[in-house]
Formats: sequence, C-alpha cells, structure tokens
Amino acid sequence: MTAMATSQPTSKVPALKAIWRQTGFAPILFVVLLAINIFINPARFSPSAWGTLIGLAAPLVGAAIASAPAILGGRGGIDISVGPIMGFVNAIVVLVLIQKLGLTSPFIVVGAAVLIGAAIGALNGFMATILRIQPIVATLGTYLLLVGTTLTILPAPTGTVPVWLKSLGGPLSILPLGAVFLIWIGIRRLPYYDHLMAVGSDDRAAYTAGIPVTLVRFLSYVITGVFAGVAGLMMTALIGSADPSIGPTYTLIAISAVALGGVSLAGGRGGLLGAAIGAIDIFLLQSALTFFNFSTFVLQIAYGAILVIAIVLTALQDRWLGRMRGAA
Amino acid sequence: MSDNPVSLSVLGLSLKPGAVSFDQEIRRGEIVGLAGLDGHGQDAFIETMAGLRPPVAGHVNAGAKADRVIRSFRQAVRSGIAYLPRDRRATGIFPSMSILDNFAIATVGRDRKLGLISPAERRKRYDYYRDRLSIVAPDPGRMITTLSGGNQQKVLLARALAHKPDVLLLNDPTRGVDIATRRVLYSVFRELAAEGMALVILSTEIEEALVLCDRILVFREQELAASLEGAERSSERIISTMFGRAA
Repeated sequence: MTAMATSQPTSKVPALKAIWRQTGFAPILFVVLLAINIFINPARFSPSAWGTLIGLAAPLVGAAIASAPAILGGRGGIDISVGPIMGFVNAIVVLVLIQKLGLTSPFIVVGAAVLIGAAIGALNGFMATILRIQPIVATLGTYLLLVGTTLTILPAPTGTVPVWLKSLGGPLSILPLGAVFLIWIGIRRLPYYDHLMAVGSDDRAAYTAGIPVTLVRFLSYVITGVFAGVAGLMMTALIGSADPSIGPTYTLIAISAVALGGVSLAGGRGGLLGAAIGAIDIFLLQSALTFFNFSTFVLQIAYGAILVIAIVLTALQDRWLGRMRGAA
Repeated sequence: MSDNPVSLSVLGLSLKPGAVSFDQEIRRGEIVGLAGLDGHGQDAFIETMAGLRPPVAGHVNAGAKADRVIRSFRQAVRSGIAYLPRDRRATGIFPSMSILDNFAIATVGRDRKLGLISPAERRKRYDYYRDRLSIVAPDPGRMITTLSGGNQQKVLLARALAHKPDVLLLNDPTRGVDIATRRVLYSVFRELAAEGMALVILSTEIEEALVLCDRILVFREQELAASLEGAERSSERIISTMFGRAA
C-alpha cells in the first residue's frame, strides 16, 4: 500500500503486487478458509450472521492490530503485554469505573481505556528505548505485572456492562475497529509513519538520515498501548463482564496473526491491514476446527504450526521477490 | 573566495586526546578536500563536523564565530549542514523502501499539506532532483535495490540536498561508482559550489581531490598535517604529507 500511496501505478498489477508484498499469503489463506467455513457451516457464515461473526473476531483483530506498530519499529521491537493490557482495561473499566464509581458515559469509559493503554505503552517504550532493556524482556515484565495486578483486583469473573458497550460486541464492533483503522490511516499520512518504517528497515541509516530513532520507537509502543486499550474495550463488549483470565491469552495468538499477515518480525515491513487479515485467518481456522469438535489443545497445535509456516512462507516470498529484483 | 562569508568553522579542534588542535574556516562556494591514509583522522574530522562524533577538544560552529556551536547531528541538520555517509549499504539506503521514500525520508516534513503527507508534493520534489542529478530510474515506486550503485548514491545525494543545506559534507561520495556517474557528480558538485554552497569532500583518491577541490586538508596521525592551496596541490606533495615525509 505504500507503493500505491506514493507512486502513480500505471496499471492495477503493481498495486496488487504491492498489496501482496505487504500482506503476504494471508489473503489467499483468507479466501481458502472462508470457502471451507461456508462449505461446512453455511448457517453460521450466511450474510445475515456476518455481524455476529465480526463481533466475535473483533478482539483478536484488535489485538493483532495493536501488536503491529511496536514490531514495525524493528530491532527486536515487540510488545507481548498486549493481552494483559486488554485484561487490565477490562478489569478497570468494569470493576472500578462502572461498578464502583458508576461512571458509564462512553466518553469516560473510552477515554479511560485509551489513557490506560497509552500509559502502559509509554512505560514499555521507556523501558525498551530509553533504558534499552530488550523489548521482549521489558514487556514480559509488564505482562507479569499486569496479570498479577488484574488478578489481585479481580480474582474471579464478575460485573456487567452498560447497554451501549454491550451493543459494540455485535455487528457494531465494526465501529471501534473502523476507528482504529481511521487513526492508522491518519498516521500513515504523517511524517511519523515514514520514520517508523525507516527505523524498522535500518536504524543506523535512519540515524544518519537525521531521524529521531529513539522517539520514533518510543511512540510506536505508545500507539501499540492505545490500540491495545481499544482492543480491551472490544473484548469487554464481547464478553459483557470482567474476566481476568481471557486477556492474556490474546498475546500469542495476536503475534501469530501479525506474522501470518506478512509483518516482518524484524521490522520495517508490513502493515495493519495484513495484521488484521492474519487475525481473521486465525479466527476462521478456529471456527472450522471448532466445528469438527477438535479440542482447544488441537487449536494450540494449529496456532503453532501456522506461526512457523507463516514465517517460512514470508522468508520464501522475500527470496522470491529478491530474485525478481535480480532479474529486472 | 577568501572574502566570501564563512559557512562553517572549527576552533581549537582535537580529534584525539593530546593531538595538536587546529582551526579551520570553510567559506561559501568553496570545495575543500580531505585526504590522508585511512584512519588518520579525516574520517573523524568529517563526522565531527556533521555532529555525529563529539570533539575531544574545541568545537564546530555553523558560521564564523562561536555563535552557533554544533553539538549533535540533529542540530547540525537544523543549522544547514548535510552529511552523506560513507557506507551506502550499512548506513545509507533503506533496502526495503522505494526510491521515492528513500529520497524523502530525511525531509518528510516538507511534503506536508495541511499537516498530512501529500504524495504529489513528494513526487514533485523528487522530480526536481532526478533531473538535476540525472538519476536513471524508471519508476520511483520501485525498490531502491533495483538501482545501480551509482544511482543509489545519487538518490542519497538528493536526500542530502533536499535539506537545502549551506554546507554539504560528503564522505567518499564516489566510492564504487562508475566513471560516467562520477562525471555527473563532479559537475553537480561544481554547480553547487558556484551557487554558494560550501562542500567538504573526503576522498580516498588523490586525483579526485586534485580535480575537484580548491583546497586540500591532509591528515596524519589524527592531526591536520597540511592545508594545500593553489599550486601547492600536487599528488607528490599530498602523498609525502600523508606519509609524514614533508617538512
């Protein structure tokens, strides 16, 4: 999509090629999995049920989108605390804001979720870029911290959510997803986006080009945190209560989705659209396997296999593109 | 030339502890060459002027006196000093980005219209430098790695020029560049100097320095060994200074 936005493609082929370069094999897998799902379970995948499906898939899509910016920043950038941020936002919103303080206004709830996400993202960014702790270790620390805190304030599932939030768990979950995408489309048009991709591509070259590398990386964690906060709201809308055990499970699936969506874990390549398609792929796989009554253990095996295959395919695609380059 | 205003000056600069310090003034329209055996200080000098390396003693100023001291790379960029790094592959190009993005990355802020990036504006800026530097590239949306080494170097030069700098620091700009491209680069450098830019060119080829530069600074053991001007510039003189044999 970068190429589409910055050059005038003479035909549709380069544009398609650019999408392929950015999203990898995820769209092909999407079509295949969708066909399989429609074939084995026409009722669940009929057009009238799509709204519900989007609602079910929304938290995972949100988590995948949230994971992407930190990874795009490169040099091992990753935020594994995305899942726990979602769980923490869930607990704070339902237990503290709605139940204890009785604040149910959308502005306060959404604002709180975004602020919590931004604050935790800033903490992660501070540790990873200023203290220069390895990102995976820094965010593992945040992971454990948040899981512990969430379980302390919320030992067992409880609570209810206001009607407006509950309604976002269904077809209307397209609203928060759309909002996140709109924000990202805005970011893509800012100098910041070019800087992020450049830093992810090669941070030394970025430095000698005059890009504030540390600041760019720091902000990528803040963006990840904000998106994770919104994903936490989507999860809250879907489950309609506070549950301390669900959030953390999203982390690893989200990272699988990001890798499947053609985002290079080395940084600088891919985008949020790819991450979202990767997440939908995993959701479709989930529902196909569940239809055949496979256990959740088998699902885990499937996630693992997908992650490995996705990375191998992305590497092969890289090599293939490299060869085309050599031939051109 | 000597009455042109000073674009960049260094005062009491030492490149290593204990080395003899030196002053230098680089004026508008001047092309200054840096020569020396590899690792004898010319690399350190150009990086210090670019703000990438803190000086051991003394300071670098944008302009004549100690009014605008350069302490960091970003400050150097803001003060109108642009730097073209030496190692194109490691610290120059972004291999996964397009030609256009590689060109614009250091100056993305200039493509803004109402705060948002305008692709058309970026394309317009690129087209100017493409013509000026005769960059041979069919489609700016292609990956930078599809270009030849010489054309990649031109894109990087365009990136540095896009800052519209007063001082252009070039660290071995013609390394690994074919002879035709070299000619283009030489004539561009002369044009830029004629327009009033000050250029500092670190070259590993003495002939290149002789052809291009009005003044050649020869470095030996992290110290400025000689500043050769006019008729003094000869390859024998430079080589003997490089090896420390000259008086």
